[in-house]
Amino acid sequence: MSARDPVDPRLEQAGASDDSLLTAHEKLLGRKPEDGAHYRLLPLALLFVFSGLIFYAGTYLNHFSGHYNAAIFDENAHPASTAAAVPKGDPMVIGKKNFELVCATCHQTTGLGVAGVYPPLAGSEWATGSEERVIRIVLYGLKGPIKVKGTDFNAAAMPAVGRVAGSGYNWSDDRIAAVLTYIRASFGNKASAITPEQVAAIHTKEGDRKEWSQDELLKIP
Amino acid sequence: MITAPTAVTTAEVTEIDASARPPLLLLIGSALAWLVLSGALALVNLVQLHTPSFLADCSVLTFGRTQAMQDSAFIYGWAANAGLAVALWILARLGGSPLRSLNWAMAGAAFWNIALTVGLIGIATGDGTSHAWLHLPRYVLPAMLFAYAAIAVPGVLAWTGRDREMTYASQWYAVAALFLFPWLFSIAQTMLVFVPERGVLQALVAGWYVQGAWTLWLAPLALTAAYYLVPKVGGRVIPNYDFAALSFWTLLFVGAWTGGRHLIGGPIPAWVATIGGVSCALLLFHYIVVAVNLRDAFVTGGSIVLKFVRLGVAAYVFGGFLDAVTAIRGVALVTQFTFFSAAQSQLAISGGFSLTIFGAIYFLVPRITGQPWPSAGLIRVHYFCALLGTAGLVAGLAVAGWIQGHELNDPAVTFAVIGARTKPWLLLATAAQAVLLLGNVLLLAHLMRAVASKLLAPVVVVIFRQPPPMGAPAS
Repeated sequence: MSARDPVDPRLEQAGASDDSLLTAHEKLLGRKPEDGAHYRLLPLALLFVFSGLIFYAGTYLNHFSGHYNAAIFDENAHPASTAAAVPKGDPMVIGKKNFELVCATCHQTTGLGVAGVYPPLAGSEWATGSEERVIRIVLYGLKGPIKVKGTDFNAAAMPAVGRVAGSGYNWSDDRIAAVLTYIRASFGNKASAITPEQVAAIHTKEGDRKEWSQDELLKIP
Repeated sequence: MITAPTAVTTAEVTEIDASARPPLLLLIGSALAWLVLSGALALVNLVQLHTPSFLADCSVLTFGRTQAMQDSAFIYGWAANAGLAVALWILARLGGSPLRSLNWAMAGAAFWNIALTVGLIGIATGDGTSHAWLHLPRYVLPAMLFAYAAIAVPGVLAWTGRDREMTYASQWYAVAALFLFPWLFSIAQTMLVFVPERGVLQALVAGWYVQGAWTLWLAPLALTAAYYLVPKVGGRVIPNYDFAALSFWTLLFVGAWTGGRHLIGGPIPAWVATIGGVSCALLLFHYIVVAVNLRDAFVTGGSIVLKFVRLGVAAYVFGGFLDAVTAIRGVALVTQFTFFSAAQSQLAISGGFSLTIFGAIYFLVPRITGQPWPSAGLIRVHYFCALLGTAGLVAGLAVAGWIQGHELNDPAVTFAVIGARTKPWLLLATAAQAVLLLGNVLLLAHLMRAVASKLLAPVVVVIFRQPPPMGAPAS
């Protein structure tokens, strides 16, 4: 057996001493990467391979990261479509939150307003009446005298809330629809809900304009 | 009777080897005993996969418990003991002085193996946890952490007290493995067992631990042996050695991030699984450099040690590529949560780790006992058993997993049909496991024979040649 096979498996001989092994590799690390003009192809190839892997990894990560969102479990959800994938909230909840954030400052959380200064929303013919009028008021604001539930308010100055020129709030059409839906179904009101599409349609039709007055609004059905 | 000049003796077999004999033989002996036990349990476990009624009435040997005991005996019994023995010996050799504080290693090894025995009895009687690779009951985990630290003491001292300032690749991997396992193990046992995280985070920590224990602990231990043995036996320097450091740091930095690959398709935020897959792709750089560095193992013929290391390196690199491919979403759709994952795990631990460490054991045992292995035939039989067993086990599980994955995705196919179609491949895996077990029993018996003949004839016979100085790279 050992005549044909020079290596005895019972007893492996070493090919080099530990000392020469360490010395040889120590020398390798101290050496310059290039010997004169002789380029070594493999290091260059490895560099390209590493760069390629990093490029691939970055692309893949960007594609399937799910926006690093802890709520997105499906890595197939493309970042572009994640906005649509998030379920829409209840307009009454969103509306209430936004109402209390902005509207309640004047109209109060009860929707009763302040007698003689801020008109009430509860039972108001403007709030529960024509959808066309109430959407315009919230989008663009209202200026001048107005009569609500038989009482005259002489110097109303409701600011524009929509995403229009001169607005300090820049609310989206969705947000306005939610607030209106909330107002029209709260404080004892029982009017129909307002959809974001209705708000968007009026927004597109009117474009940019100044606040409405009572007379202008009364011309609209 | 000493017949040759002592100068030759000191060149290859020195005080370093003789002094390390008791702890290393304790570690390697217990490692092989655990390997045989793990193999027997794995055999029972594989039979239960296709014949579920097998031993189903015996609560100690039901599927869940044999699976847990088999894994624990393999990882903490075989891999830990053998890997540490090889790492300590190589650190001492490259450090240039005998191991110090060996009593720590002896005591640590004793406590580690006692704790593991108690732990396996605990699993058998129903105290195990439900976490892969961390099935051991809670009451042995802290003791094992301290026992590990004690075993590692001589290795750390050999590293800090080394003769030269400059270090070699084997030393990097060995020291990384010594220090990273306590980090992984302590965090995992705290966050999974003692103060368990809830919900999604628990799955994340479990995935991180399983992957970390492989990429940051067992893989570095195997690479310690491979980076030492290939130039040591082949006698030529490592080609493109200047990339070895970059490859090492790639493994360390990217390795722990690959844990997300176990959770692709699972109930976790998408980005975690994606990061896992992406890290597997980046880690390919490490595998490519390992293949380039260790390619001499594939051209040097004759040596049985290098034959084992060659298979181990091939399995390690192939496993790395397989991990990267199966981490791609479309492929994971089929392979994830099937026998294919089990095949990948076996390719890594039974292939990449065990085969390399077998090579190291065949190289180091004659040096620490000062005499050759008793039988060349037994070594060759073990080599073929290990080769056929590992290949058959991995192939059987992989094909079964591929079939299983495809058919599970088809709602028209029933479970009974899938069971029938995977059965032939699971039978192949079972037969392969039996061959593997036979080979490992032979190795254990061979080691016992070597130690027994050493005790009967304790005279050191000088048998090692003076090795030539290191040559240039083959290319």
